Amino acid sequence: MTIGAERYGSRADTVAFVACLVVALVTLALPEALRAPIAAAMRRSVLLPAVTLESRVAASRAQRQAVLVLRAERDSFALAASQVPELVTEIAELRALLRLRARLGSGFVTAEVLHQSGLTDGLTLLLSAGRRAGVTPLAPVVSPTGLVGMVTTVDPRSSVVMAWSHPDFRASAMTARGRVFGIVSARRGERAGEVMEFRGVPYRERLPAGTLIVTSGLGGVFPRGIPLGTIEGMLSEAEGWERTYLVRPAAHPAQVTHVLVLKPGAFSDTLAAAFRAPAAADTATAPADSS
Amino acid sequence: MKLAPPRLRLWIVVLLLLAAQLAVRPWFAASPLAPDFLLVALLTFAMRSRPGAGAAAGFVVGLLGDAVAPTAFGAGAFALTIIGYAAGWLKAVVFADNLLVTVVFVFAASWLRDVLELAASGALRAGAVGTQLLVLSPATAIGTAAAAAVVLLLFRSWLHSAPAS
Repeated sequence: MTIGAERYGSRADTVAFVACLVVALVTLALPEALRAPIAAAMRRSVLLPAVTLESRVAASRAQRQAVLVLRAERDSFALAASQVPELVTEIAELRALLRLRARLGSGFVTAEVLHQSGLTDGLTLLLSAGRRAGVTPLAPVVSPTGLVGMVTTVDPRSSVVMAWSHPDFRASAMTARGRVFGIVSARRGERAGEVMEFRGVPYRERLPAGTLIVTSGLGGVFPRGIPLGTIEGMLSEAEGWERTYLVRPAAHPAQVTHVLVLKPGAFSDTLAAAFRAPAAADTATAPADSS
Repeated sequence: MKLAPPRLRLWIVVLLLLAAQLAVRPWFAASPLAPDFLLVALLTFAMRSRPGAGAAAGFVVGLLGDAVAPTAFGAGAFALTIIGYAAGWLKAVVFADNLLVTVVFVFAASWLRDVLELAASGALRAGAVGTQLLVLSPATAIGTAAAAAVVLLLFRSWLHSAPAS
């Protein structure tokens, strides 16, 4: 008998393979309303130890990095250590997050992003905070630089976020002064995941590059004034009807490590002021950023 | 000292790889070279099992993976079912426990898993496929193949006599 010849000759193996394949395809074809509860039930049961362990490892990693930061600041070699770009970026991000927390005051939950190995990480994100921490569905998720996405599923100890880069994401948006309104969604095709599209801009309006786009507050999901990005250039125009612009995003979901989950209804006023100051402050406290 | 039964040895290695996925992989952060220990565990098991068991293991691992990254629930299960079955089937035809064959096989499996998952999840419509499949996926496949090589070098004599189920 040849090596392993009995393996591929078995009908039972073929049946098992086809059965698994069919169940996988059926699962894939299930409507979102059915898939989400199944996935949530798995995270709450069989995957709970794994998610908890991963969360602790992530916390341990964050603590270790925090210790490194403290040592670097205390040490006379802090300047040399701060030249490491990754470290500088993370320090700046954490400082910005602390400042944003101070400006918002209350009405939010802090969470770590537990990045997964899957290809779709960046479209949906798993957060370390869940229902027990006060996270609710449809809650906006922000980083110090702008909107990251919104919560779609909430478990007791974790939650799933639909990032702005997700093909189904939409947000009502406007220019910072509230003069021009439109809809922001992820760009598809070329440069997908890197930039957004600002659609539905009236043809009579021209937006110069660098114009800040923020959430409009319409629709009741996102509070007014959260930065989405800045205009990079015009993408297309329907003659006499509307224009579509490319938007450079304010926050990249695949890169954020810590976020704030805003509690729905906690912010009835615009958040523009809370997001306006950090850029200047960051530049002042982290000169290496500008290099 | 008497060694544990072959099947038990295989499960010990698989459990070690699962622990590495949870405890070691997060330290690699967002590096594209971060090895996927879960895939190595699946292939280690499937290569030493019947194709049907490999497919079932792939389905379970894929479904669990889909639950924590539920953009396309079922896509991972679909991809890993095929990978698991193929690992059990192809390993019957090629050399068992050969380092070079294993490395090439794991690299191909990792890349093919990405292709299948992208196709099944419909993520292809999100674009940026070229960069993903020609740069990021091969980088992950290299890291995963390297991890598989280390595992084989460390446990080859241990796993050598692990029989098919």
